[in-house]
Amino acid sequence: MDEEPERAKRWEGGYERTWEVLKEDESGSLKATVEEILFQSKRKRVIESHGQVRLGMMRHLHVVVDCSRSMEDQDLKPNRLTSSLKLIETFVEEYFDQNPISQLGIITTKNKRAEKLTDLAGNAKKHIVALKKAVGTVCVGEPSLYNSLNLAIQTLKHMPGHTSREILIILSSLTTCDPANISELIKTLKSLKVRVSIIGLSAEVRVCTVLTRETGGSYHVILDESHFKELLMLHVKPPPASSSSECSLIRMGFPQHTIASLTDQDAKPSFSMSHLDSSSGAVLSLGGYFCPQCHAKYTELPVECKVCGLTLVSAPHLARSFHHLFPLQGFTESPAQELHADRCCQACQGELKDTSIFTCPSCRCVFCLECDLFIHDSLHCCPCCIHNQTNS
Amino acid sequence: MMASEEEINLLVIVVDVNPVWWGQQAQRETELSLSKCLDAVMVLGNSHLAMGRTNKLAVIASHCEDSHFLYPGKSWRAGDSGGDDAYSSGDGKYELLSVVNNLIAEEIRKVMSKTEVRGNSTDTLLAGTLAKALCYVNRVSKEFEAGQEIKSRILVIKAAEDCPRQYMNFMNVIFAAQKQNILIDACVLDSDSGLLQQACDITGGLYLKIPQKVALAQYLLWVFLPDSDQRSQLVLPPPAHVDYRAACFCHRNLIEIGYVCSVCLSIFCNFSPICTTCETAFKIQLPHMVKPKKKKLKQPS
Repeated sequence: MDEEPERAKRWEGGYERTWEVLKEDESGSLKATVEEILFQSKRKRVIESHGQVRLGMMRHLHVVVDCSRSMEDQDLKPNRLTSSLKLIETFVEEYFDQNPISQLGIITTKNKRAEKLTDLAGNAKKHIVALKKAVGTVCVGEPSLYNSLNLAIQTLKHMPGHTSREILIILSSLTTCDPANISELIKTLKSLKVRVSIIGLSAEVRVCTVLTRETGGSYHVILDESHFKELLMLHVKPPPASSSSECSLIRMGFPQHTIASLTDQDAKPSFSMSHLDSSSGAVLSLGGYFCPQCHAKYTELPVECKVCGLTLVSAPHLARSFHHLFPLQGFTESPAQELHADRCCQACQGELKDTSIFTCPSCRCVFCLECDLFIHDSLHCCPCCIHNQTNS
Repeated sequence: MMASEEEINLLVIVVDVNPVWWGQQAQRETELSLSKCLDAVMVLGNSHLAMGRTNKLAVIASHCEDSHFLYPGKSWRAGDSGGDDAYSSGDGKYELLSVVNNLIAEEIRKVMSKTEVRGNSTDTLLAGTLAKALCYVNRVSKEFEAGQEIKSRILVIKAAEDCPRQYMNFMNVIFAAQKQNILIDACVLDSDSGLLQQACDITGGLYLKIPQKVALAQYLLWVFLPDSDQRSQLVLPPPAHVDYRAACFCHRNLIEIGYVCSVCLSIFCNFSPICTTCETAFKIQLPHMVKPKKKKLKQPS
């Protein structure tokens, strides 16, 4: 209690008068206010970038999913488990989209035990298949924070120092059943530099607050399903790297993609090494990616070569992460009435119909709201600045 | 079987009108001039509009200075359009097609006469044009109601060479297109373009370097007119072999095995203790030192 920061809980603060937000205009319609609210919610999506902060680009993240009895609750439709798994699927896809050279593993906990659903891997498909199958699991018993954290640490502690080690826990139960003192485990987590973040589905639990505060993660409790999605997506962006993480040169291979056809004389069909462990999915194929060191064949990248241990990536995978390193600055908002020139958005050539316009600070070009959102969410570069850049 | 009538196909044609390249082209041979190229583009545009009532078209010219939308014009500007009477043709052609052709012809004349080429910038601003095209597609797809599907693709007709300075912006554009499920096709007139090959591979489009420039219209209609659903049923040129090897930051050589800095992701061909881009010093794993065991000297008694 003594070290906890001063925080006012919602019931401790003054009464919020939520009805004052809605204002009627002369004719009695709420249209302007509704549009304003929609506009603000759209704007909220553009988050300020951190600037010159070193980011942990290569991430090893474990997602722990609570499969205890409280997950059968139906406050999220159809029940908490199905809804969570569906959102985690979207999270997995976004995660590999934004962090192509990172890895992800999934752990489930129920009946006071924890077990691995999927190993740490860099391929999204395996996780999605496993998540789809997990929808049918029976939720029974109590979760165990200690056991799931322990299981995650077993793999994370062997990871090299330059990667960021993270655990994300989706906890719905209000209790946890631990075989040993969890404070000891928190000390171990701190020494191993593992960052634990928790998303609670029911209510705030003190052990979670302490756990996330000590390890430097974040703790949130969801309000509803869309809030749940927002909180999950917060973890897609690479976190700032801790000051003690090492920086090293990682040896990587860039294999060529050979597409051979049946008419080639030398083309020999072969199996992909990634399917050696599983009996299903092993097919003979002619082309593929050959490891430059040992010539083992793989069908997809990025992958860690099973024979020689070399990480295989392709140049676009690294290019995907560049926009984190060179983030696009936010555009300045200004009311539309001030614009005396042409009322035309420079990017999409559409009419500027909104109440505000957005100006890029470096090239002073004017954009509409939709283009501003699109540029910051997906494009990560200002179309007009590109024109000026290559000309200078 | 054509898709349901709710589906809308949007084709955006990006034409490289680099005046330096087209000027050199006019001096070398007279097979393909800029006007003939635009004729072929108009044929493709008309055919696309004729394929379906709900199909949409946009044409953008990519210049060394800027990118200009040749079609559609800013029709919501009430004063400027001057009425459609000037554009209707007397021969009973579908009015939209004659509007399209006349607008494109008028705009390209304006573009080529007004813009000047400054000395050191002779590269086509393709990445910027593609970025604007993506913003346009984004706006058009938001304008329709929730029920209507809109499928978009971008066709790039490339004349001049690649500009390597545009690499990062180009990659950003490619990933944004892939996320929005927009195909990027490429029709290359002269020299192969590595960037466009990667774009077509990542987004799932078609890449073709035309063997005979004079038959441009034929290639456009055969290869690039069908949309993505129909392409699986046609025999089209095979995918090109894309070189995904990375270029090292020190020598710009293509390497197969390299060292990547974990902080800034720059690629090096040789191990060095300091990253030249972000200037971090790397921790080098030293082998364990075996301490020699100290032998206790026997004290002479």
